[in-house]
Amino acid sequence: MNKLKLWFEQTAIISFSIFVGILIEGLVYSVFLGDDLSAFSLSWFHILSVILAGAFCSVMTILLFIDTNILKNKFTVKIIIHFLSVYLIIVLFGWFFKWFTKLSGFIMVSVIFFLVYAFVWTVSLWIYKRDDNKINKALNGIRDEE
Amino acid sequence: MRVHIEKVDSKDQEEAVIKAVEITDEISGAVELLEGDAKGFAVSKDGKTYILKASNVYYIESVDKKTFVYTRQGCYDTKYRLYELEVLLGGYFVRCSKSMIVNLRKVRNVKSQISGRIDATLINDEVVVISRGYAKEVKRRLGIG
Repeated sequence: MNKLKLWFEQTAIISFSIFVGILIEGLVYSVFLGDDLSAFSLSWFHILSVILAGAFCSVMTILLFIDTNILKNKFTVKIIIHFLSVYLIIVLFGWFFKWFTKLSGFIMVSVIFFLVYAFVWTVSLWIYKRDDNKINKALNGIRDEE
Repeated sequence: MRVHIEKVDSKDQEEAVIKAVEITDEISGAVELLEGDAKGFAVSKDGKTYILKASNVYYIESVDKKTFVYTRQGCYDTKYRLYELEVLLGGYFVRCSKSMIVNLRKVRNVKSQISGRIDATLINDEVVVISRGYAKEVKRRLGIG
């Protein structure tokens, strides 16, 4: 049940991140490349494809945190595999659902993916660090002496 | 509720008196928290049975359906199951993984790993793992969740 909840949460977060990515892409194209934003449209299958991509990527994220004997204590290897598999899913979905049609679009999607991936990890580590500080501060007040 | 704290000179003189119209969940929780360390339970080692004070316990682990209690003096086994001890001890004794209960009063500090798990270093330098899934309950028991 917890895994199902995690899967839904991850799907929502990743889909939202992709939509933010699309927004950034649109802004870059209109502000820096002078494209006409009024010509931009998002059809129902684009929205569906983003949610589907989020669902697939979240499966990879759940696998990342599952404690198995395979790759136990090799979290760095697991992160690299996770990064590559999620990137592959995004590229395949992007190609199949026409998120990009030119090389410049592919580069843009890749750059946004790298930025979002790094951002998510940075925020996660910052939250962990903040939690550690809170817990350590609370422990100082109750700790027994040896 | 008004709370008065009076400083005393020794541990023996420490006591708490609660004056209340009725015993609410909050008061029961406070009593449980205050009594936590004074509670004792039966453990055994080398065929001998002892009554171990909760305040001496560092952590409790379940391995192959057997329950082991770790203190500064060593390891004991007990007939209690992990979930029974969780209820019996309460207070700062909190489930930190599927098979372990840790006494938060024996934790020196915690440090999160990139994998999401939390390493808790005890005051005897042993390290136990707090699973990310149980971190919320740890924070709640510490009054920060």
